[in-house]
Amino acid sequence: MTTLTRQDLNFGQVVADILCEFLEVAIHLILYVREVYPSGIFQKKKKYNVPVQMSCHPGLNQYIQDTLHCIKPLIEKNDAEKVVVVIMDKEHHPVERFVFEISQPPVVSISAETLLSHVEQLLRAFILKISVCDAVLNNNPPGCSFTVLVHTREAATRNMEKVQVIKDFPWIVADEQEVQMKESRLIPLKSMTSDIVKVSLKLWKVLTRPVLCVLLNYLVVSYSNTSAFFVHLSQMQLYVEERAQKT
Amino acid sequence: MDELYLENIDEFVNDHNKIVTYKWLSLTLGVHVNTAKQMLYHYLENKRKESSPELHATYLVSGKLVDKGQTCHKVSVVREDQLEDFKSKMNLIVSVHIYSVQKALLKDSSPLYNVDYDALKDNLKNCSRYSAIQCSKAVPMSPVELQQARETERAPASAPESQKLGVSSGSSVASKPSAKTQKGIVAMFAKQPTPKNQESSKPEQREESPMLEVPPNKQASKTNSVENFFGKKPDKPLKEVQSSAAVGQRGQSSPPVEKQEPAAVEPQKDTKTDSRSKSKRIEASDSEEEKMEKKKRRRIKRPEPDSSDEDVIPDSPQPLETREPSPLKKEATVQLSQGNSETKIRKRRRVLKPRVFLDEEGCMVTEKEYVSESYSETEDDVPAPKNAPRDAKAKLPSSSKEEVKKSQKKSSSSSHKGTKQASITGFFQKK
Repeated sequence: MTTLTRQDLNFGQVVADILCEFLEVAIHLILYVREVYPSGIFQKKKKYNVPVQMSCHPGLNQYIQDTLHCIKPLIEKNDAEKVVVVIMDKEHHPVERFVFEISQPPVVSISAETLLSHVEQLLRAFILKISVCDAVLNNNPPGCSFTVLVHTREAATRNMEKVQVIKDFPWIVADEQEVQMKESRLIPLKSMTSDIVKVSLKLWKVLTRPVLCVLLNYLVVSYSNTSAFFVHLSQMQLYVEERAQKT
Repeated sequence: MDELYLENIDEFVNDHNKIVTYKWLSLTLGVHVNTAKQMLYHYLENKRKESSPELHATYLVSGKLVDKGQTCHKVSVVREDQLEDFKSKMNLIVSVHIYSVQKALLKDSSPLYNVDYDALKDNLKNCSRYSAIQCSKAVPMSPVELQQARETERAPASAPESQKLGVSSGSSVASKPSAKTQKGIVAMFAKQPTPKNQESSKPEQREESPMLEVPPNKQASKTNSVENFFGKKPDKPLKEVQSSAAVGQRGQSSPPVEKQEPAAVEPQKDTKTDSRSKSKRIEASDSEEEKMEKKKRRRIKRPEPDSSDEDVIPDSPQPLETREPSPLKKEATVQLSQGNSETKIRKRRRVLKPRVFLDEEGCMVTEKEYVSESYSETEDDVPAPKNAPRDAKAKLPSSSKEEVKKSQKKSSSSSHKGTKQASITGFFQKK
């Protein structure tokens, strides 16, 4: 049983391929579940032996593929720290952020135990989690759009500007407005660790006013329980103050 | 009676935000499926009484339905809000039981399958340990028997034999009386009224009996129907046709059947869409094998759009994402999609498309027809991008594909739009 190192197999490429396939499926699924586009454009297709909803609109598909095509070199070199799918409302304020944190172990050795089926199983679990994420989310306002951000290193950014991987598909540095979300809460969805890659999916959701009333009652009751609630409470206090000023 | 299971289910549903199906619960807790169903029911009742955060449930309804004079046995998974509506449409309800409990309101049925997939995979040898369906003769075949079965499959079997096999196949949905009376391909279409009526529900046809048994049976019956037209054929195209026809029959995206069709889906999808130009294609195709597959598909697929079955049709829009390099078939794809813009295939595809979208939400019928019609001009682009993810790794055909896409875009844009807009689309083709 030989162990192969990263250099032997052009390992980065293999991992990048797997991840980009997964990200494509995940982005389509996010668009479906969060109703960014009407569900009529989606069809059931099969990935990792389970049905997933993929769009069949050519423009949208091409856009997503081009995006991932540009991200792939970054992942190969382990430059991409996070890939974020941001859902924005009509005024281009982010409403939700699906953050995929990707990291690859620096020295990887794969052996016969690292089977693709194992990785597929882990990725299947991600897909399942995305499908049920709307249990913890409210509906988005109508007319939402989405964008994909990549968090990477400065050097990689300069490289990307120099060499356009796909012609007429430029990447620009994201606005502060798109990157930062004010008043948001974090919902970790899923994380997985395998020999070749470590992916974790977190969801940031903007807090909207109506929700807060409910939360306030809940937190008052459970304030004394654990220290974990302190974080929430401090956010809550912020809101209470705001409301007081207005009235 | 220990109430521990209620806490367990509560933990799964609320804390882990899982979808708890009765099958998954029975395998996880090690109880009989009927016990699992009752557990879920009690849990739901308790939670509803306590008026705690909203839970959603899906139910499995099975019964008899008379549709245009034909009685069929229908098994469906429906959401709770569609349950009463669905029950009122059935003539005779044989069983209703809870299928799953979850916090999220599911938009489609894919996660339900996903949930059970891994649980079943872990328990593959004894997945029916807690099942309520028993058959003393249903034991896995020994390797010798398996080999013999494969050989008999290849040899042409008589038609009555095929019908017997079709009838005796497990608990999958089938219009059994009609399977007996009709032969070959017609038997396949007789099963279509079943999925047709599942517009307002989330149809899912589950197989509880060992899945291995059912596909060989169906394959045998399809073999015979194909044999009737073409006589003996090499194994590979046969098996592909069988599996593709079997998928078409069931009208579901269940993996055991689709496992067999990875190679078949690509040519099937392409050939299906331009069956009328088959005569042209046959000369242009690269291999004899391709020719035979296409011929078979023409016979099988052509009458399908006449039936209004949306679940049978999705064979074409479900090309697998798994990238299986098959250069021969990809080249055929390129040629076929080139032929699309020139021949009369558009009409045909327009007919096909709406049926695909109808199965999710019945209320969006008109919208979907419009969507599909607008694709008629750019419709040629739809198979090309679909082919594109599959061909991403094969570098050879990819460039030819881009050319094809460009030519299609140009032809479509020039045919309907003015010169100004043609230049705009030309701008985007630089990729």
